[in-house]
Amino acid sequence: MGIRRNASTLSAAEVEALRQSFNAVYGLRDDRGYGYFAGLHGLPLPVYCEHGTSLFLPWHRAYLYFFERALQDQVAEANLPWWDWTSAAAHEQGLPPAYLPSGATAPANPLAAGPVTLSADDLTLVRANLPGAITAGSQPVTRRDPDFPDELPRPATVSRALNSRTFNSFNMLLEGIHNGVHVWVGGAMSAVPVAAYDPVFWAHHSMVDRLWYLWQISPRGVNPPAALLDRPLPPFPMTVRDTLDISTLGYEYAVQVIG
Amino acid sequence: MVTAAAARTGEAEQTLVVDLPFPGEGGEAAFSRADIVITGVDHSSISYEVRLFLNNPSADAATPRTPEAGYAGRFTVFGHGGCYGDPGHCDMPSASDDPTDLRPAHPLTPLDTYVTITDPLQRLLADGGALETVTLVPLSMTPSREDRKPAPELLKFQDVSLQTYLTATEADVPPV
Repeated sequence: MGIRRNASTLSAAEVEALRQSFNAVYGLRDDRGYGYFAGLHGLPLPVYCEHGTSLFLPWHRAYLYFFERALQDQVAEANLPWWDWTSAAAHEQGLPPAYLPSGATAPANPLAAGPVTLSADDLTLVRANLPGAITAGSQPVTRRDPDFPDELPRPATVSRALNSRTFNSFNMLLEGIHNGVHVWVGGAMSAVPVAAYDPVFWAHHSMVDRLWYLWQISPRGVNPPAALLDRPLPPFPMTVRDTLDISTLGYEYAVQVIG
Repeated sequence: MVTAAAARTGEAEQTLVVDLPFPGEGGEAAFSRADIVITGVDHSSISYEVRLFLNNPSADAATPRTPEAGYAGRFTVFGHGGCYGDPGHCDMPSASDDPTDLRPAHPLTPLDTYVTITDPLQRLLADGGALETVTLVPLSMTPSREDRKPAPELLKFQDVSLQTYLTATEADVPPV
C-alpha cells in the first residue's frame, strides 16, 4: 500500500525518491514519460481534463493514480505527497520547501520546474496566449509567480466544502478552491493547457484528492449520483465507480509515518 | 434572475453592476443561506477572478475586500487560455437532441458556479438595510502577476441571481 504524505514533513530519503522518480520520467519520451502524462491534462490536444463538471474529482483521482504508478515504475519508493495549502506553514512560506529551486551551487531541483515537451507550433501558441507560463528557448520549463502566502485558502473555507451534504455541491466547492490555488501559483499552473507540466500540480491535486477522501470517510460523505457511477473517465480505463475506494487503488493518506 | 445583457457597466467602467433588490416584491422571507448564482460562465480564455461587492456600484479592483466595502466573496475561473486547434476547433456546437450522440460535452461548455454570501447579506439586513446591487469586479489571473489587471472582457455569463434557502444545507453549518 502506498502512502501519500504531507509534502512539508517528508524525510530526506522520501524527497530524494520523489526527485529521482521525476527525473526518471523527465527522461522518457514515450507513454511512460512526463510529457505524456502532463499532456493528458491540456496540450497537446485533445484536452482530457474535466473542469466545471461533476467528473472533476473522479477524473483527477484516476489521473493521479496512473501518474503515480508511472513514477513508481521508475522508483518504487516514490509516492505523491500532498501540499496542505491551508496549513500555517503554507500561509507563511507558500510553496512546500521540497518544491523550491535549489541554491546556485546545488543540482537543479526537478520539483521546482518541469520540462514542457510540446511541438514548436504549440510552444508558439502558449507563448502568445500565456506569456510568462514557460521559459524561453527550444527546451522550455515551467515558470511560477506565486502570490502572497496568506492569500492561499484558509481552513475555514475548506471546512465549508467539507460540510457539503451532496457530492455535486462538494465537487463544485472544492473545484472553486482548487482554481484559486492554481492562479495563486501563477506561471504554467495558472492555465489549463500547461498546468500539469509544473511538478507542484501533482502535490496540489493530491491535496484535492485527500480532501475528497476525508469527506468520503466523514459522516457527510456520500457517493456521486447513480447516473454518474458508470461514466467513463477517458483516456483512463476507469469509471467513476472505480475511483470511489482508494484502498482498491493501492494508496492511503498519512500526515506522518514514523519508523 | 438577471441576464448578462441587463447588467450595466459600473462607475469604474471595468465592472458590471446587476440589480438584485432583496427583499423583493414578495417581502422579506427568513433564510439561513444565500447564494449568488452565476450560470453560463465562459472559461475559454485566460484564468480570471471575480470579486463580488454588495451595494457598492463604484467598487473596482482597488476596493479593499472588507465588509465595510461590501465585499461578499469571489470565485476563480481556471481558464483554457485560448484556442490551440485549427479554425472552428473551439466553436461550441449546439446542444444535441440526438439520443445516439454519446460524445462527451465540449470541453469549453460554459459552467455554473456560486458564491455563498449568507453572512454579508445578513449583516446588511441586520443594519436595517436592503440589498440593491451586486457589483462584479473581474480581474485577469495571467501567468505573470505583473500582467494582472481589471478584465471586463473575460467575464461572460448567461445570468446571475440571488437564491436564498431556509432549510439546513452544507453552507449553514459553521466551520469546525
